[in-house]
Amino acid sequence: MLHLKDWYRTVYNKLFRLDDRLLLIVAGSVTGIFSGLAAVTLRLSLEAAVEWLEPFREYSWAFVFPGIGALLSTFYLEKVAREGAGHGVPEVIYSVSRYGGLLRLRSSWSRLISNFFTIGSGGSAGPEAPVVMSGSAIGSNIAKLLVLNDRQRITLVGCGTAGAIAAIFNAPIAGLVFSVEVILGEWKFVNIIPIAIAAVAGTEVSESIIPEQVIFNHHLFQISIADLLPALCLAVVTALISVCFTKILRQTGRFARQFTSSLWARAIFGGCVVGLIGMFMPVVLGEGYHYIQAMVSGSFPMGLFLTAVAVFAKIIATAITLGWGGSGGIFAPCLVIGSLSGIMFYKIFLMIFPSAGCASEGAYALLGMAGVISGVMQAPLTGIFLIVEITGGYETILPLIVVSSISSTMSHYIEPASFYFKELIERGQFLRPGTDARILSDLNITELIESGYVSVSENMVFREFIELLKTSDQDFFPVVEDKTGEYRGIIQISTIRKYALDPGIYDMIFLNQIMDTDVMTASLENDLQEVLDMMDINNMSTIPVVENDRFIGMISKTKILDLYRRELIMQTSVH
Amino acid sequence: MELSVFDLSKHLGVAPTTIERWVRQGKLPVFKTGTHYRFRTNELAEWAARHNIRLNLSGRAEPEKKNDEAVMLSEAVKNGGIYFGIRGDDVKTVLDSCLDQISTIPDDFKADLLTQLVEREQALSTGIGNGIAIPHPRSQLAYLQTPLVPLCFLEKPVDYNSLDQVPVSVLFFLLCPSLKLHLHLLSVLSFCLRNTQFRKMLESCPEPDQIIEQIELLEKTNPI
Repeated sequence: MLHLKDWYRTVYNKLFRLDDRLLLIVAGSVTGIFSGLAAVTLRLSLEAAVEWLEPFREYSWAFVFPGIGALLSTFYLEKVAREGAGHGVPEVIYSVSRYGGLLRLRSSWSRLISNFFTIGSGGSAGPEAPVVMSGSAIGSNIAKLLVLNDRQRITLVGCGTAGAIAAIFNAPIAGLVFSVEVILGEWKFVNIIPIAIAAVAGTEVSESIIPEQVIFNHHLFQISIADLLPALCLAVVTALISVCFTKILRQTGRFARQFTSSLWARAIFGGCVVGLIGMFMPVVLGEGYHYIQAMVSGSFPMGLFLTAVAVFAKIIATAITLGWGGSGGIFAPCLVIGSLSGIMFYKIFLMIFPSAGCASEGAYALLGMAGVISGVMQAPLTGIFLIVEITGGYETILPLIVVSSISSTMSHYIEPASFYFKELIERGQFLRPGTDARILSDLNITELIESGYVSVSENMVFREFIELLKTSDQDFFPVVEDKTGEYRGIIQISTIRKYALDPGIYDMIFLNQIMDTDVMTASLENDLQEVLDMMDINNMSTIPVVENDRFIGMISKTKILDLYRRELIMQTSVH
Repeated sequence: MELSVFDLSKHLGVAPTTIERWVRQGKLPVFKTGTHYRFRTNELAEWAARHNIRLNLSGRAEPEKKNDEAVMLSEAVKNGGIYFGIRGDDVKTVLDSCLDQISTIPDDFKADLLTQLVEREQALSTGIGNGIAIPHPRSQLAYLQTPLVPLCFLEKPVDYNSLDQVPVSVLFFLLCPSLKLHLHLLSVLSFCLRNTQFRKMLESCPEPDQIIEQIELLEKTNPI
């Protein structure tokens, strides 16, 4: 019996404690399965909702559906789930960088439900961001259940994301790449294997449950070298469209807040506007996967003019849905806009060069999708791999790479931060591993405070202080009030040197006459960035920390450098 | 506007060699004129904003040197006035009659100043020995325009509780609008009073002009 226990402990330590790869792989695949299930559930219920609402679409009052959906979604998020609106991806990124991937359990379903209301009723948004949020929350909570540390939890959050994206697009590598490129921000060997397995698990789940016509089917395309030049031009078009999309998305939210402060009014009004657009242009409604499939397979009926109008109608419908209270992501709208612009470009191109021997309309829809995804998310690899997997082959890889890289480079040139990161950067929450901002936010100032300073009374005579100085090695002496111990000022040896060498005044002055009272002080609430800024502006190498009028200690640049370096080493080390 | 490597190193607060290394590593927006690197301020501002770097292109604000310390002790004594034959039997009465005499202090403030001076003496005597004291208040007198060092000679020496227990007959009042001036004048005064000849001269109740002349001479030899 004892033997068995020993043996168990050895195996447990070898496999799970000392080397957590196996543990992460097992937990990651479980996470992948669950997040795949979440994605499948949302996808199937959206299908059902669309089918159920189909008969009512013919009535003229159908335009209120998106309004009601947005209202329900807002009501659910505000009153039932009590979570902020927004699409969720920036929240996941921030949680990964700041709180080690901690997410609430209720996040794993709350966005799914609000997103179901938004899209099911016809709002123009994507189900991917809610699914990503839900998948990462599942990963985070599995990690919590297994009492894992931050690093392992982040890996599982990545697994959840990958599983969700892989399941919804039936594309495992796209899931892996999206998770690492957008959510985690670092390519680490220890992360990639569990995430890849989770992505495969998610894909398997969706393939085995979702019926054939709902899933993204693989299509084969013949694209030749001759398509390179059109691809180049398409890249420029998609870059412009994605910049335009990003700008309109951000402006609409701001405009909505100015328009009315009531959440409910915003949701109803915005939803109805989307519904009205949808009456004339049904392609803008919902997540639009059906239309994407139609466009890719080349059976899209609209003409050039209508397609061009549809591109902008979809942009505006998405901006209104998301900005005025709906809940959802931009991934699917990006794909719809991308494929629409691809087709628009193809039609224009054929009009100018009727005899050009280029590939089919569907191929250009795909290239357009890659372009817009890369442009909006500035994640070129995600765009490339997603489309490669949807097409099921590498025939399209060369034009894909051209379109993706040019589109993302160009939009980066115009708009340096991607849609996902922009919000975070504006809030100062963009903290990628190994960056200055990340290290500064991780280091707490209580870790840096050097305490143990002998303080002196403000009524001490200078001669007494000189005596104290002889036996002390402090460079700074905090001066405090006699009775209450309140901080009054600080004496720096460097500034009193002049008086210390003049015995004639030893008995003439008290410490409160020579202390510095206008030295900037930090408090425990300050973060390290603020403390460093204070020191920088005032040219200080040390700064006293005072909390509630009590002297706590000093922070010196020497100490900061020391800890900063260790932190950098810890954060960038492989394990 | 264009900047050189040296200018930029001043703005960023790093060594010119650091700037050169950053240029070599391709981290700065730079262009070359001849063999010299040049930086455009608008490009630099954009670069700094993107990398979250503080860059003050309008020049580093040097902390302004205040000319407080340029005040001469001789001036302050002249402004304060020199008074002879002041009566009194103990510290308090002496200080009271001195303040009565000193015309350069506004009358409204005299009562308050007296309590401050007495308080200071009770905390620790300002008698520095050799029959000399430097009475002054603990807090500074913001209502004064310039520092005043009224010099008072007593009619008869008074027990001032000095360090060396010698009765005091000469009082240098030290009244300043700011702490910095106070410390400066205090150190100059203590420097002057270390001079034996000067102390000897004070004992002989000399003429005001002679005292000021002596202080001027001594002040010039002060190394601080």
